[in-house]
Amino acid sequence: MEEAIIEPTTFDLIVVGTGLPESVIAAAASSAGKTVLHLDPNPFYGGHFSSLPLHDLTSFLASQSQPSDARCPSSPQPDGSDHTSVHLATRPLYSALNVTSYSAEPLESRKFNLDLAGPRVFFCADSAVDLMLKSGTNQYMEFKNVDASFVFDKNSGGLNSVPDSRSAIFKDTSLSYREKNQLMSVFKLVQGHFEVAGSAESDGGGRRISREDLQRPFAEFLNRMQLPQKIKSIILYAIAMADYDQDLEACKDALKTEDGLDRLALYHSSVGRFPTALGALLYPLYGQGELPQAFCRRAAVKGCLYVLRMPVLALLADKDTGSYKGVKLASGQELFSHRLVLDPSFKVPLPLANSPPASLQNSSHVVGLRDVQGKVARGICITRSSLKPNVSSCLVICPPRSLYPEQVMAIRVLQISSNLAVCPSGMFVFYLSALCEDAVEGKQLLETAISSLFSVPTSGSPEDTSAEQSENTEVLKPTLLWGAVYIQELTMLFQKMYPDEEFFPNTASSDQIEDDSGLDHET
Amino acid sequence: MATIGHNNLNAKLVLLGDMGAGKSSLVLRFVKGQFLEFQESTIGAAFFSQTLAANDVTVKFEIWDTAGQERYHSLAPMYYRGAAAAIIVYDISNTDSFGRAKKWVQELQKQGNPNMVMALAGNKADLEDRRKVTAEEARVYAEENGLFFMETSAKTALNVNDIFHEIAKKLPRAQPAQNPAGMVLVDRPPEGSRATSCCS
Repeated sequence: MEEAIIEPTTFDLIVVGTGLPESVIAAAASSAGKTVLHLDPNPFYGGHFSSLPLHDLTSFLASQSQPSDARCPSSPQPDGSDHTSVHLATRPLYSALNVTSYSAEPLESRKFNLDLAGPRVFFCADSAVDLMLKSGTNQYMEFKNVDASFVFDKNSGGLNSVPDSRSAIFKDTSLSYREKNQLMSVFKLVQGHFEVAGSAESDGGGRRISREDLQRPFAEFLNRMQLPQKIKSIILYAIAMADYDQDLEACKDALKTEDGLDRLALYHSSVGRFPTALGALLYPLYGQGELPQAFCRRAAVKGCLYVLRMPVLALLADKDTGSYKGVKLASGQELFSHRLVLDPSFKVPLPLANSPPASLQNSSHVVGLRDVQGKVARGICITRSSLKPNVSSCLVICPPRSLYPEQVMAIRVLQISSNLAVCPSGMFVFYLSALCEDAVEGKQLLETAISSLFSVPTSGSPEDTSAEQSENTEVLKPTLLWGAVYIQELTMLFQKMYPDEEFFPNTASSDQIEDDSGLDHET
Repeated sequence: MATIGHNNLNAKLVLLGDMGAGKSSLVLRFVKGQFLEFQESTIGAAFFSQTLAANDVTVKFEIWDTAGQERYHSLAPMYYRGAAAAIIVYDISNTDSFGRAKKWVQELQKQGNPNMVMALAGNKADLEDRRKVTAEEARVYAEENGLFFMETSAKTALNVNDIFHEIAKKLPRAQPAQNPAGMVLVDRPPEGSRATSCCS
């Protein structure tokens, strides 16, 4: 267990990092019969997708905010070797980390499972959920519904509920009769559109939205339906989950009507997809760090070899062609593979990145590192009370301009309670996120959201005085016990690696789950 | 966690122990009544379930195997979560495997829930002539650490059903769930459900 000499030494694929994308790849490749070695430098699974105790989270964020040193770019191997080693450096994925504790007594670090990064909630009908079912990872995890969704309303300073189904519209008390009818008409229109689209192409029923209109902005479509701002806001930001302000003339990412309708349909088909899930959104018990663990377990069941606590120091390149051959581990061992997948935090040395297609880091370099999608501002808050009485988990959307006039991005706030086993009982964890251009914008977005939704004790003052203060205000806001804000680089890593293999061939059907893939399939 | 309802108890059981100690063989013997002389390292088996009656209740074991992730000490927290029982397996003909079993017990005491029923299984008891770990030594260790102990043989089936039976008897009956229960997602066509959500 201590001195791990890895056997065998040659694999079809080596995957470095156990983040969610890497874990899905490892599971898919193992299921396709490839020999896979999956490594992680950390003592835990999940990398940037893990859920960690409080102290581990802050130290991980701090350590990942520093670039690793990239000295000794390449060194010749001892005589007689046919390859050279190229030192691997990582780039920091986090920046502008700011952690503040307001609690008089220290929080019990080990009782928290805090998510480092998204995706934090899933639509029941999301393709990611399909993937869990298809890959068989669903049997290792438990989920709960997010109880409700709300839209932050700056005028009332309160939260308007998002009715997500027809029955919810009927029951809703915050909407007027007129508003209910308007919302209902949108739902009907969408349903009608997809019913016609789903039936034969030729019948061209009157309710189908024209192709031309489908290419126009969704906001314009909603305007033509003469919806009031409140309803429009619910549809655009709390159901279609748009990020950018859709009413801006120069909206960077205007949602097309076509895509808007698809998102409404996704939301709609999520409600009631699972018999025991009433709402549209799901969150995993113990935090989203369960997902990579589940995919890794799936991979292991299919023969993938797992070694945690094993950093990769260098890539091995062929002396003559310069193409990828293998990796050098921190233990000094050299291992070889046909293909390699690296965690997106690695900086791939250029000569290798340009080498022949045999090496996958080639494509992960191009796709993963050049095509960075921007930044996400993330915040984590801990309190002892809910944003809404009697609601244990909820998603709160602060639409563009709901907090301040120049706010271009929507902010999403996910509240999770101890009934999802992410914090001690009686506490609540909030995850805030917003896309942003830079750290300044990101911090402004989140800090405004935090001060609007929570009562933030002035630093240094003990908890109880701030509780007194908040009692004076009209709306009783949860008082912050602990808060962290940081900026994360968005990365992507996807490439069809084994074009001839089916991506997770269907596993045992649900009634055979108990015996899993079983012995009968064993070779 | 063991959950109870109508005299039925669902209990997650995890297996721990050195590679080659016979974890999978024990389960195979228990679940399928089979034994393979040259069982390969665990590939392809994630978990099994087996139901048995103990006293007043029916216990359905959901047995999780390590899937080889113990080989480089890389088991995920997910593995231990909610486990009501654990069998720590060693090979009586291998002193190292007994030493490692003690390490797994420590790991369980750290990761697992405090009410977990832990069994120590000295497997390969049929290899008496190659014995390296005495039953007495193991029994003393087990008693000191709150485990119950049996020597087993997956090959001859010695004590295999008995160890599971003993665990079933020891499981707390009306234990309040320590952690909240969620739902396991089970596939079914989304179309059928859509109708139920659209009340009219």
